[in-house]
Amino acid sequence: MDINFESFVEWDSSPFILFNNSGKILYLNNAAEILFGYVSKKELYDISVSYAPQNFGYKTTSLALNYDSFLFHAITVGYESEEQISLRLYNTPRIKPTRKLETDKFITTNINILLEANIALFKTKNTNPLKLLTDQDLPAFKIDQNNFSKLLRKTLNAFRSSDSIDISLKLLIGQHVIIDNKKEPIIQLAIKANGRYAETDDEIQLLAAESQIKSLLKEHSITLEIPLIQ
Amino acid sequence: METFFTTSDKIQHIIKSFNLTKTLFVSSIIIGDAYTGKKSLARYLFPDAHLVSGANQEEVQSALENYDELIITDFEKLSNQSNFDFSNKRIIATANYIGNATLIDDLFAFIYTMPPLNERPEDVNYLKNLFVKEAVSTLMIEPHTIDEKMIPLNLTMNSKSLKKYIFLHLTQLSMDDKDIQSVMYNYIFKHLDGNDGYREYLNLYEIPLIEAGLKKYGSQLQLSQVLGINRNTLRKKIHEHNID
Repeated sequence: MDINFESFVEWDSSPFILFNNSGKILYLNNAAEILFGYVSKKELYDISVSYAPQNFGYKTTSLALNYDSFLFHAITVGYESEEQISLRLYNTPRIKPTRKLETDKFITTNINILLEANIALFKTKNTNPLKLLTDQDLPAFKIDQNNFSKLLRKTLNAFRSSDSIDISLKLLIGQHVIIDNKKEPIIQLAIKANGRYAETDDEIQLLAAESQIKSLLKEHSITLEIPLIQ
Repeated sequence: METFFTTSDKIQHIIKSFNLTKTLFVSSIIIGDAYTGKKSLARYLFPDAHLVSGANQEEVQSALENYDELIITDFEKLSNQSNFDFSNKRIIATANYIGNATLIDDLFAFIYTMPPLNERPEDVNYLKNLFVKEAVSTLMIEPHTIDEKMIPLNLTMNSKSLKKYIFLHLTQLSMDDKDIQSVMYNYIFKHLDGNDGYREYLNLYEIPLIEAGLKKYGSQLQLSQVLGINRNTLRKKIHEHNID
């Protein structure tokens, strides 16, 4: 029986890349295509070469790789000829929220209102300049207003003594998240500054996880990817 | 309808934030010293909301079951705060102090701090005019007899002390000697005991007499002449009462 495995690789959620011996990409699957928005071809080729097995064959190595919001915990590098080398990166599993989202209890909300209210609250305590770039046409969506407000408060509070705070709110075009077997669009809230406090990062992550919001906390920024449930 | 006057930037931001979240189901708390206008602000923003005091535990419990929109004053007086479920309710709480910060942080989405009156000079001025007007009408004083500059601004208890001392000051202005005697009568009647009463209560007369005299006449020499007593006697009295 002849089976063509290519489409299985193509739709695998873990990135798969096939390089030639000069680092040129011969093939990449969908997941890898998205990943290349955040990491260079050369970097991944170099990793493939460094972790390649000594002889023809396949070798899996555990290592933590982190490109923006993509987290990997292992890679497999393999080659069967001198001409081609393949790299597969294994997605780190995301921790599933322990409690199911009770979306029927959520209230349809204009996120711009909640954000502005939280900025007003922030301004009662801080005088830092703050820039806001938002899309006023974002559709209203369902969210736990109280929980989400707490998350916004804590997130903004991490920037309480930062200068040049930049807040942007936009729809992530072409990206989705699956919640209750439904494909939902994603709204991204990104706050950047010259630095921030990190002492409440755990609480921010916890509150975000409770609303199935993906939080990405870095030294100078916090990004929240909010499912647009309607 | 309630009005709320303020020129404070901080409070303007609080009002803005509340106005934005007015229709949302979020929990908010305003924390600040007593008599800074927390309850008035909550009432002004939510004129139709049911209002309960945290001093009455049971009332709060039953109100939480029956209302989706609720003002809870004196939140710090509630003892079982951690049992509350504010989800999908519009809660506006006020508290004189934060108490258990972690718990407050956990319960409330919006935590506002009400600035005290001494950080809000223009608000003080507004309240002063309001209280003076009220006092003039209540005490039936002729407005032209009031010297604006003499009105004391006591902010130790925010609007409570401000109001109290304005009323006291204006009451005193309208008193004649009989009223003053009657005030002293009541005071002495209430407090007199022990075995040194004469000397103790002589203060009530001597201290204001000397202080006002010194302020009015400047020098001890001149005052002793006005009072018709010996300069040494006056100096002794000043020393005795620790008057500067």
